[in-house]
Amino acid sequence: MKQYIIRRLLQMIPTLIGISIIIFAISAMVPGDYITARANPNMSIEKQEQLRAIYGLDKPDYQRYFIWAGNMIKGNFGDSMQHKKPVTAVINTFVWNSFIIGFCSLILSWSIAIITGIFSAKFQYSLFDKIITLLVFICMSLPSFFIGLLLIKFLALDLKLFPVGGMTTAGLNGSGWIYIKDVIKHAFLPIMVLTMLSTGSLTRYFRTSMLEVIRQDYIRTARAKGLKERTVIFKHAFRNAMIPAITLLGFELPALFGGAMIMEQIFVWPGIGHVYLSSINMRDYPFMLGFTIFLAMLTLVGNLLADVLYGIADPRIRLK
Amino acid sequence: MTKKWSLTLVLVLALTMALSACGGNNKAANNEPAPTNSANTENTGETNTPAEPAGEEASGLIKAEDPSLSPALANNRKDTMIIGMTDPKGVFSPLFMETAYDYYVNYSIFNTLVAFKADGSYENSLAEKVDISEDGLKYTYHLKPGVTFSDGTPLTAKDYLFTMKLFHDATYDGESDVLSAHIVGGQEYHDGTASDISGIKVIDDNTVEITVSEYSALTPVDLGYVYILSEAYYGKDYKQGNLESVKALNSKPMGSGQYKLKSYTAGQEIVLEANENYFNGAPKIKNLIYKTTTDSTNLAMLESGETDMNEINVSEDNVEALKALGFMDINLLPNNGYGYIGFNHKLKKFQDQKVRQALTYGLNREDIVKGIYGPYADVINIPESKVSWAFTDENIETYDFDLEKAKALLDEAGWVVGADGIREKDGEKFKINFSATADNPVVEALLPIMTTNYKDLGIDIIAETLDFNAIIDKKTKGDFDMYFAAWGLTPDPDNTVYITNGAQNDTGYSNAKVDELMAKAKKEMDTEKRKVYYKEMYQEMNKDIPNIFLYQRNNMNAINARAQGFDISPYKDFPFSLYQVELQQ
Amino acid sequence: MSADVMPITKNTNSPAKAVDSPWKTAWRRFTKNRLAVIGFILIVFMFMFCFLGPLFSPYNLFDYNSKLKNLAPSSTYWLGTDKLGRDMLLRVMLAGRISLLVGLVATLITVIIGATLGALAGFYGKFVDTIIMRVADIFMALPSLPILIILGAVLSDLKVHPNIRIYYLMVIIGILNWTTLARLVRGQILTLREQEFMQATEALGLKDTRKIFKHLLPNTVPVIIVTATLSVAGAILSESALSFLGIGVVPPTPSWGNMISAANNLIDFRKRPWLWIPPGTCILITTVAINLIGDGLRDALDPKTKK
Repeated sequence: MKQYIIRRLLQMIPTLIGISIIIFAISAMVPGDYITARANPNMSIEKQEQLRAIYGLDKPDYQRYFIWAGNMIKGNFGDSMQHKKPVTAVINTFVWNSFIIGFCSLILSWSIAIITGIFSAKFQYSLFDKIITLLVFICMSLPSFFIGLLLIKFLALDLKLFPVGGMTTAGLNGSGWIYIKDVIKHAFLPIMVLTMLSTGSLTRYFRTSMLEVIRQDYIRTARAKGLKERTVIFKHAFRNAMIPAITLLGFELPALFGGAMIMEQIFVWPGIGHVYLSSINMRDYPFMLGFTIFLAMLTLVGNLLADVLYGIADPRIRLK
Repeated sequence: MTKKWSLTLVLVLALTMALSACGGNNKAANNEPAPTNSANTENTGETNTPAEPAGEEASGLIKAEDPSLSPALANNRKDTMIIGMTDPKGVFSPLFMETAYDYYVNYSIFNTLVAFKADGSYENSLAEKVDISEDGLKYTYHLKPGVTFSDGTPLTAKDYLFTMKLFHDATYDGESDVLSAHIVGGQEYHDGTASDISGIKVIDDNTVEITVSEYSALTPVDLGYVYILSEAYYGKDYKQGNLESVKALNSKPMGSGQYKLKSYTAGQEIVLEANENYFNGAPKIKNLIYKTTTDSTNLAMLESGETDMNEINVSEDNVEALKALGFMDINLLPNNGYGYIGFNHKLKKFQDQKVRQALTYGLNREDIVKGIYGPYADVINIPESKVSWAFTDENIETYDFDLEKAKALLDEAGWVVGADGIREKDGEKFKINFSATADNPVVEALLPIMTTNYKDLGIDIIAETLDFNAIIDKKTKGDFDMYFAAWGLTPDPDNTVYITNGAQNDTGYSNAKVDELMAKAKKEMDTEKRKVYYKEMYQEMNKDIPNIFLYQRNNMNAINARAQGFDISPYKDFPFSLYQVELQQ
Repeated sequence: MSADVMPITKNTNSPAKAVDSPWKTAWRRFTKNRLAVIGFILIVFMFMFCFLGPLFSPYNLFDYNSKLKNLAPSSTYWLGTDKLGRDMLLRVMLAGRISLLVGLVATLITVIIGATLGALAGFYGKFVDTIIMRVADIFMALPSLPILIILGAVLSDLKVHPNIRIYYLMVIIGILNWTTLARLVRGQILTLREQEFMQATEALGLKDTRKIFKHLLPNTVPVIIVTATLSVAGAILSESALSFLGIGVVPPTPSWGNMISAANNLIDFRKRPWLWIPPGTCILITTVAINLIGDGLRDALDPKTKK
């Protein structure tokens, strides 16, 4: 196992180099740069050239790649053009806000999905199962911004239970507990929507996986042995049903830090997703590249974790 | 969640962004950022659309019907006003600011020597008097005495010189193009061959004399519309050729303006506090907060009282919703920008003036514009804001939708209907590949209507929507037929969009008369004379159709009626009058 | 409700026809599953609604009339009119032609690529696994938005007709989405590979292709079905965003995705439900139908269910 992990970690190096080349090539191929994206009607050609020279955009692409990659190795992500600050500082400012709601909804959605998944499977085609199935599909058939607006309308505007958006009450000077309470109040709706969105697909996966396992011979054997139904379901079936879930868990790592773009936008949550999107729209290459690489690393680590967890969960799997 | 979902998220978000905001593209398009409004009533006289109840005011101020409906949440903030805005980037420095929202914050914190008036001309601000020499090459600014920065230190002519040095620095990567002002010695400072700008002479603390090597009508603005930074504060560690120490203060601004920065939380809020030493008198509202909001819910936040003011996308629905709230003052004023359809003038078929006129007559611009904006946008026929001093409607052809006239013009131009119903000339079919920027609500009406209209004309039109930068790229490469986009308008009519080989002229338009008039007007200091030149130029453009001009829309600022005293006009953004605003208790 | 989950009872009811091919058995089982048949009928209905329905409409896609905008449903306009005064019913039907195709074809591509590569990686392991999974890693790490912007620009430069671009779009959605399924399938196969029945196939000396496609993949059908159902709705909704980048359909051509997205504010949401409920419902029906068919397919193909 140890050897396997080391080998996988070593494999990450060429993978990352490959990713960095592709990502950089993408950024070079995308039409426009920061200066065209700004579309200033008064900017003279000389000024444009001067700015491109300062940003280093005037050099040939391969040269720019080596400069950029060299700096990345040294840990220098460069300065965000839009924010006029180091990329790492910008990431650090926003990423934790995304992490807060991402983490809470991860915990919630997995807990809910596991429970509803098991019960949906246990009582397949019962009324409970059908309602859950229908709800899941309704959530999927509408764009997520719609679901966000719907909740704002009912819970924030009509019932006035929660603020419409933001992370804190503007001008609140509280600290400590008051501050935390304020953030929780603001975070409630975005977490709720994120949870609703991700619970849906997770529930489907768990339900299916559980259904599969229940039909397996060893479950029938366990039942035949006269084990209590609860023991059969939770001890024998559940553990095996969770194996596909491990793959999904691996995907969660980059998602935790990647930010939920739509929800951050709708609820004015100061997360990284929105910043990332605007960096793409504005061709803020240093930020776009830096953050993409950051997410790429998390993706690789997440997938490695998933593979390692497989081995632990199912000792029959031989990882080589 | 999973990869699949994250893809969907990216996509749907791209879509919502595209539909709602104008990205950064239009808003930050010029030095004088787009969103603005005013209490001054410039009635458009253009309110009669079938879908709209008659008597609707399309422009100007709509007063709140019942200010007492203001929610308690807002009323409880006795000494605090919260202004919502979309996306400040936290670049609080007049040197490096780029987005409209950062401008707003900087307007509140810094001051310039001269400031813009309602019609785009300028008046003195920090300057008390400006002397311009006969030959237009020497400018003497007399500063108002006794002005101090918010830390109490006096603002002097030396600070002006210091600020200009920063703008001339070789490592300066902001958008201001100070070198184009041609200050004597500016280039040498930029190149590092001189450690001072010889053309800027500090006579005494309140007087500075600037010499330029060549002048234009824009010179007084180039020199005077400069936000003054404190040398004592920003200059501590500054060395020529290295602006890092100045940049480091981007998040800790200090100026002479109405407010001073108290705290900034990225993506959330910017808290400002009144500057008691402000030279026009201490602001009446003690605390000012700019809160980050978003297009989809900014109206809801006004409704709940979470904000007191916000710019709202103008549409009949939104105006109606704001009116229904009862406690909102609604400010509608023409946006500094216009939507247009560009031709590729390098293509033979578009070089014929008749064809361009036909394509204008043959497009139902009224239906497109009114369909999206109702009475809150006007079809335009010249690329100038109707509130600008340079605007004219004298002898301007309005190109009202007229398919028959368009067909006749195309026939005259030699494009006759072929066997398949498509027009052709010299064996070439009339085919148009049309690209529209996705980030504009007008596209929703433009594409269907244009496709239908041009098909009726006998033109084979193939339309697509594209990313803004992709269109710019096509323009630069010259690989396009027609496209839809929007331009920002600067207070001064001078620009390079329509002059031959101009920096922003990507369509290849060239008209000797326009070039000549634009150059003449740029060299003329007398506004009245410039007016005449521009009038003639716009009349020529109106006839020659460099682009199909589509619309100028209104901006809408919604202000909770508890805040009174704003003085806003298209060229004078709301922050300039903040110090006069009072909260009614 | 249905017998399909209780293999034991089903077993006793099924007539024993050992000579039937597995596919024939599957078809028989599928048609006996009432819910699956309902799903099938729903899909057929949606196709007829979208492909034949417009023929009976008195309206034209290109009609616009600013005097008739945002009308509520009435006897003239059964589903009301949109912001340009166009008949919503006609638009929903025409939109379905695009959206159904995009949803189904894109999903099919996702499933074919994802399942095949996942199965190969899981079955062969070692070098093959490393290569496929590292490629998947790279795909997962790539930011989709910039790639789509490039593709949009390229399609535009090549002057590909917008009506043809939706085929590219289907392929693109399929290609961008395969990784999730590939990892899921691979994970399952890693487990399955070690089970007793695979040792049996080993002992019988079966060919690899037979092992993979006859014995391993059918066992992963459930997870494939779930992914496919989820991706149909996802693809239909993402289509509208792709249009903006010059890849998808262009107005006036409607799609369910761009119809819902056009109603993107609280005011439409409150005042004009007819703008978003019809396309939303269509997506819902399609998703549910696909899911029902999927469940039926799973039961029909599941080797563990006795014949």
